[in-house]
Amino acid sequence: MSDSQIFHDSEMDLSHRAKWLTKRVAVYGVLIFWTIICLFPIYWTITTSFKIAPDVMQGNMIPWVDFEPRWKGWKSLGLSPNTIFTESTVRDEFIKRFMNSIKTSVGASTLALILGSCAAYGLSRFNYRFGFMRNSDISFFFLSQLILPPVVLALPFLVLYKKFALLDTSLGLILLYTLTVLPIVIWIMRDQFSSIPVELEEAALVDGLSVWGAFFTIILPIALPGMVAAFILALVLTWNEYFFAALLTSTDAKTLPVMVASQTGSQGINWWSMAALSAAAIFPLVVIGVVLERFIIKGMASGSGK
Amino acid sequence: MTAQVDLLHVVTTDNITPRRIALGRTLVWGSAGILFLLIAIQALFEYGYLSFGFENWRPVLYGYAFWAFCFCASQVIIRGEQGKRALFVLPAVLFVASMVIFPLLFGLSIAFSDWNLASPDGRSFNGLDNVRQMWADPYYWNALKNMVYYTMAILVEYAIAFGLALLLNSQIRAQKFFRVAFLMPLMLSPVAVSWMVGKSMLEVRFGPIARLARWIGWDSPSFFGTPEMARTMVMVMDAWTFIPFMMIMILAGLQAIPKEVQEAAKVDGASAIQAFWQVVFPLMLPISITAVLIRIIFKLKLADIIITVTSGGPGGATDSVTSFIFREYRDRSNVGYGTLLAMVYLVVIIIAITIFMKLVDRWMNPRY
Amino acid sequence: MKVELYNRMRRGQMSRRGMLKGAASIGAVAAAGGLGLGLNTGPANAATDLRAALLKIPGVGTGSPSDADYQKVGEMTLGPTKAVVEEGEFEGVELTFLGLNNQNQHNFLFRGFLKPWEKYTGAKIKWIDLAQADYNARLQQSIATQTVDFDIIEMGAPFEGDVTGRGLASEMPEWVKDVIDMDDYVDYLKAPVGTWNGKTYRVSIDGDCHNFNYRTDYFENEDFAAAWAAEGHDGPWEVPATWQKVQEVTKFLTGKKDPLSGLDAHGYLDPLKGWGGFGFYFLASRATAYAKHPDDPAWLFDPEDMKPRVNNEAWVRAIQDVLDVMADQPTDQINADPGTTAFQQFLAGTGSMVSWWGDVGAGAKTSDSSVVGEVTGFSILPGSDDVWNHKEGKWETLDSGPNHAPNMAYIGWGVYVMARVDADPKRHKAAWSAAAHLGGKDLSLWASAYPSGFQPYRKSHFNVSEWTEAGYDEAFIDDYLSSEADSYNHPNAAIEPRIPGIFQYYSVAEDELAKIYAGQYASAQEGADAIAAAWEKITDQIGRESQTALYRASLNL
Repeated sequence: MSDSQIFHDSEMDLSHRAKWLTKRVAVYGVLIFWTIICLFPIYWTITTSFKIAPDVMQGNMIPWVDFEPRWKGWKSLGLSPNTIFTESTVRDEFIKRFMNSIKTSVGASTLALILGSCAAYGLSRFNYRFGFMRNSDISFFFLSQLILPPVVLALPFLVLYKKFALLDTSLGLILLYTLTVLPIVIWIMRDQFSSIPVELEEAALVDGLSVWGAFFTIILPIALPGMVAAFILALVLTWNEYFFAALLTSTDAKTLPVMVASQTGSQGINWWSMAALSAAAIFPLVVIGVVLERFIIKGMASGSGK
Repeated sequence: MTAQVDLLHVVTTDNITPRRIALGRTLVWGSAGILFLLIAIQALFEYGYLSFGFENWRPVLYGYAFWAFCFCASQVIIRGEQGKRALFVLPAVLFVASMVIFPLLFGLSIAFSDWNLASPDGRSFNGLDNVRQMWADPYYWNALKNMVYYTMAILVEYAIAFGLALLLNSQIRAQKFFRVAFLMPLMLSPVAVSWMVGKSMLEVRFGPIARLARWIGWDSPSFFGTPEMARTMVMVMDAWTFIPFMMIMILAGLQAIPKEVQEAAKVDGASAIQAFWQVVFPLMLPISITAVLIRIIFKLKLADIIITVTSGGPGGATDSVTSFIFREYRDRSNVGYGTLLAMVYLVVIIIAITIFMKLVDRWMNPRY
Repeated sequence: MKVELYNRMRRGQMSRRGMLKGAASIGAVAAAGGLGLGLNTGPANAATDLRAALLKIPGVGTGSPSDADYQKVGEMTLGPTKAVVEEGEFEGVELTFLGLNNQNQHNFLFRGFLKPWEKYTGAKIKWIDLAQADYNARLQQSIATQTVDFDIIEMGAPFEGDVTGRGLASEMPEWVKDVIDMDDYVDYLKAPVGTWNGKTYRVSIDGDCHNFNYRTDYFENEDFAAAWAAEGHDGPWEVPATWQKVQEVTKFLTGKKDPLSGLDAHGYLDPLKGWGGFGFYFLASRATAYAKHPDDPAWLFDPEDMKPRVNNEAWVRAIQDVLDVMADQPTDQINADPGTTAFQQFLAGTGSMVSWWGDVGAGAKTSDSSVVGEVTGFSILPGSDDVWNHKEGKWETLDSGPNHAPNMAYIGWGVYVMARVDADPKRHKAAWSAAAHLGGKDLSLWASAYPSGFQPYRKSHFNVSEWTEAGYDEAFIDDYLSSEADSYNHPNAAIEPRIPGIFQYYSVAEDELAKIYAGQYASAQEGADAIAAAWEKITDQIGRESQTALYRASLNL
């Protein structure tokens, strides 16, 4: 009964509620809009891999409503249900390149992580002097590897690798990729380590551990999220690398990006094959992204305060 | 930013005997000696002075790895605890230096020579001719101008990324879903993006985007017909791939801001906007600078999308330096000139970034 | 045969179309005879039987061939090899093959073809697959840094300048010439194009030329015919046979409606964007009728001093033609590369005329995305009422009528053996045996008839009865083969120079053309002069003397 009500919401409170509601709507609206922008191309890629040519030309969007999904794209890769158990040269190629991509990406990311974490830790804790180079110079030295255009290194590496018989080997590619992602790893990890208070190690040192002991037992566990984040980032960058993969590999160490690019030729573009290949190529990354997403955000965060 | 003393001050009592020092020294010089021996054997073999040798230079590689290992070990042995400190950085430095020094030197010598791969004469040193050619090359300057346009787009990207990060940081449901969804564009390779988005989705007659444009009311959508439109589309595609990167960096930073700070601002009576500009934004500056810097570096290497979708655009309007160098290097096998362009570009970027960082430093730490 | 053509055959959508205006006959040559070693274990009928059996794998209408089919074909065509090579003769030999993997063909087919060969001879093959875009760069870099790590290569003829011109290829031994029956090649693939400096290096597996594809419904449309007459144009409304008419028709069609789709009608489709160097072929197709004089073998450079001819009046007129009809092109044409004009425009119903390789003509009926299957016709490239005589510096009209000069763009793929096998006689024989197997007469018939990426290139491919017996529709095969044969055997075919770095010239021309089309030069002449200047620079950089010598060698001067 309204008579017995003593306390009434004031105007301001009521409008506050409405304002809050509109704000919520706006926020979710923007989020959903951006989600569509982010996910639509991926959706498009996956659906295109199930289309045949007329559907591609018409730009049909929804399977089973606009067009009838077929396995053509996946068939051309040898991965459709009726070809998956038969011998298929294309599929063998695809699997081989897929494995190579995994090998080189994981290898390069791991190596970069090991070298980079140690270096970042050192740079964040100690003051070095190598000749004339100080900490900031050393950091810049690492950073400049990121800026280096690959073209500069292409021919010299070709000659160098030929001499060392590293052409067309996964090892050669791993070394090169490590070089390209090391700066990112160092950058991220340095921020991480800077935010871990020094007192932790000092306590460990007082307890009798050496510097390396403190690093391994105390610091690394805390910095683990950051390391995972850096690893994932390095993985994404090396997985999609095209230039050096096309240049330095022939038969044994080929990776996926080159295969995607060769889905075109003088007979037009095999959209379905390309889409299938692209979808297969991003699939592992998507899985990693979904599973390890929390590490990425947590890992980038500076400040751990444990 | 620069501290003259170690952050972690290590005080130890090392027992560094002369014997230890001697052991360390022999380790270094011994392994170096082996390395030189291997190099000498291989070099002499290749020039025909020796009758035995190795098939290729791999043993030298192993010798080098061995030397590096011994060097690091010796640092610890000779300098004790101080050596252990240096050991953190040493492997990375050695790795980068050895991978980069020789190729850079070789690259420099190529850059100053005239080398067209189809030429039967091979490489011939030509001094500063390449530099003169670069100076007069309209394509190169056009590409540099385009890079300025592209870099300015980063501000917009940054604003969007920041906005998204703020949204994600607020109280919303299904936070994990949105975060994962926003992260996805980063996973798609640039080659795939340029094909699937640039050519398939943006196809003028039936692509979904063109359909949408017609639905909105733009009668004959033309995405790459005019220079400005083409540039905008390229920027949009690149932004789509990279905004997640900046967004997660900023989001991480936002999550690190202690709640007390924001609550204090509210208690003080700040409105939302004031709270943002006076409190959150300044706290986020270091991360923002880092994110923008990394973004600039990646943007300056933009090439894949341009090569695939517009080949440099209507009359060179979307050409980036890297895509131009790529054409010069790959399609015309003009290796000497291409390498020089890349070297000059590298110098330009380094100078630009150094200036940028100095400015930022000045702004963040004003000296009175 | 191109994929699309084959698929179309499968679905049997043919209708009777007889529209080839080509004068030459199909050039049928009996398949039997001249087969060389191997299949002489019986009367000539055995050879035809083999070919008929071949064409039945997997059979017209049963779907795209699979890897197993390639292997079967390879097995059945092993005859010529068996006559020259003992079983297991190449035991322990390992060869490396460099080729393309476009759309999962080329190398993938070769793998299947060569598996039986590997089994029989005991040799093993390692494969290097490249995307088309990377091919040129990879080849150049391998040569320049001496990292040639392959023994056999599938290469386009334009690259002969870089490879054979530098002595990197192994010369074809006599026994191979017999095994592959080189007499059977169509005329333009024989000497001088088939040789380099008098020596033979190439095992041809393909022929390439540009032809003219057009929409019959446009040119049979009564409304257009009436409007054409009403506007006072010369002559009847018909398929243009000269570029002058093409221009006129294109301008005329602006504003009209397409009879098939109801959307805007367009005339000739010009690709205004580059395509890794290949885009230049399309300007060349427009220009050869103007620039290639029947009495002059050269049309791109002067044979005396390698001075570019790309800025002479003939070429400038071709560029101006493109500029004149730019306003009549579809939207966003400035971003259309040749792939777009063929597959996303012409075959999808936009535009009425386009020059391309045989893929369009084939894809019209077979490609899933084509809506113009019933209404496409093709012929050799249009000619020109007058032709430029470069030596005398003036335009001429020929007594024989308009000047035609089909553009043998890209000449064709071939298999070459690298000189590095010459040191070891066993490897030498093994490599050439593999190459000969791929270039075999019967195997190539199969490759022309089924999706492979390769076109017919031998006279024996043009025997219509073989094709119809295997299940193909006669009318369609008639037209298709006629148009190919006309271009291949034309006396005034324009063949590109096989000099080192030829694609560099094309690539730089594409860059300048992009600027011309974007209006950054005051006139077509100015733009053409810029192209010529860039070409001179390249010639000087590579070495003018060597380029001139090689150019003359390729023209057999």
